[in-house]
Amino acid sequence: MPIRFVAFPFPVAGQPKSVHKQYVAGKDMVSGKPMMQMIVDGLTRPLTEQEQIKGMPPGAVTEPRLLAPDSEDNLQRLFKDKEWTDYNPIIIPTEERVAKMLQGTSHKPDEVVAKINLTGGARQLTVEKVAIAAVMAGAKPEYFPLILAIATRAPFGNSTTSMANMIIVSGPIRKQLGLNSGTNAMGPYNEANSVIGRTFTLMSKTAGDLRNNVVAWESLGNNLQYNNLCFAENEEELPAGWDPLNVQLGYKSTDNVVTIGTGWSYISSLGEAQRSYPPHMLMGDYMRALSAFGSAATIVMDPTVAGLLKDVYGFKTKAQLSEWFSHNVEKTVASYWGNGVIATTNTALAIQGLEPFASWKKLPGDTLIKPFDNPKSIHVVVAGGKIQTTWFVTDFRFSDGVLVDKWT
Amino acid sequence: MNRRKLLTLLGVSPAFLTAAPAGAQPAEKAGSVAPANSTGLLTAMNPAIAGKLAERFPLQPRLNALDGKTIYLIDIQWGGPDAAYSVWEEVQAWFAQNMPSVKTVLRRTTGNMFTDDPGMRKEMIDRKVDAAIVGIAG
Repeated sequence: MPIRFVAFPFPVAGQPKSVHKQYVAGKDMVSGKPMMQMIVDGLTRPLTEQEQIKGMPPGAVTEPRLLAPDSEDNLQRLFKDKEWTDYNPIIIPTEERVAKMLQGTSHKPDEVVAKINLTGGARQLTVEKVAIAAVMAGAKPEYFPLILAIATRAPFGNSTTSMANMIIVSGPIRKQLGLNSGTNAMGPYNEANSVIGRTFTLMSKTAGDLRNNVVAWESLGNNLQYNNLCFAENEEELPAGWDPLNVQLGYKSTDNVVTIGTGWSYISSLGEAQRSYPPHMLMGDYMRALSAFGSAATIVMDPTVAGLLKDVYGFKTKAQLSEWFSHNVEKTVASYWGNGVIATTNTALAIQGLEPFASWKKLPGDTLIKPFDNPKSIHVVVAGGKIQTTWFVTDFRFSDGVLVDKWT
Repeated sequence: MNRRKLLTLLGVSPAFLTAAPAGAQPAEKAGSVAPANSTGLLTAMNPAIAGKLAERFPLQPRLNALDGKTIYLIDIQWGGPDAAYSVWEEVQAWFAQNMPSVKTVLRRTTGNMFTDDPGMRKEMIDRKVDAAIVGIAG
């Protein structure tokens, strides 16, 4: 449906009232004509023929299953020009290679893995399209069930706020696929972590038709989107009593589960834990820098830190640590509402009278609140090689995990 | 010093010395690309997914003039309740000054920019509102 619109200069949010006054007195960025003249015009000018069209458009948008034969170099260039890649070289997805990838699952090539509704029309992400992306990224067929489970959440988080994603793998499949949960688990030192994370990027770009300044409008972008922080939990090094992530999400420890979260950032401890200031207190300090959107935080810590927190500071379970964060991390009301995502989403909830947002909205700006009010949204994940007592505080939030075993 | 050792010291793999006959097809390595046919060209599968076209709906007929009409100015709260509200206040002030017969009503949605507000739509229908301007992203 065509709509009539005008465009103010950017930015609108955060500008003083005097600038907004100039915007209204100024010109429409689309037509170049006076703003208010165009608003009145939009309400009164008779409809054009185009604006009165109804029904389904003639014909249909189609994409051929195969591309025209071409040289390796030309195809590499074509895939880049189409914005189907991350601009690193890809493996050209020939039919033979895709067929080999499809042998990694019992699911039919035309089975729909995810239905996507974004700009450009509804799309169906099929098993075959996921296999194409997996080949492009350099994946092995044995990775494919895990990749299909990840594909159920495609395309990845994509927002003007420059969002990123985190992929955490739990269960025996970690070892079977050679995923790294130890030293350098979150760095570029492992094939499975690297390729599986990259596959999510490639499938998201094609499935979501995420092209720069066309559908993808992240203001700064996020470098974490190259690999989507794909790693495995170091379940073997969890302190006794600390459940792995799959169990925390309601699965059995023997279930292969992948959890995909969205967030923006992470903050490093930088150095070792200090006796003078326990690690959970420093983690709490760093959490104050997060928005607390959805009460979410994910702390990724080396097994040595988990051991300290259990043995020295008495956190017998991950849940106890999450409760501590929920009860002790405070922010001022002004800082909380000063975040744009919080202001955009939670103000509406406050207006509707939903607590605690309605009460927080009424408080003076310097009042301290506990914004991580749902400890179940604060996840604790153990990864690393026991090299140093270091950790990351992140703002990634997770919903349910996806059972990988459904996609074998 | 033999040639192999010299090349090793220079950082060049001795394997590099192994020459292939001119025009020979290199063996496929893991991850490399094998020509799909005798022309040396590859046929790639298309990763793109066709978007299903949406049904089109015509716009509502426009008003002949705004004199005496009621217009809702609806803030979708993109960026928070204060982000664009004063833009709307300026729009309202412009109508008051330049088209005083137009009645404007400034409202915020009860949701956010991603959610529908059926209550607002019902209110406009019940009150026989003539037009609405909705925004602002950014």
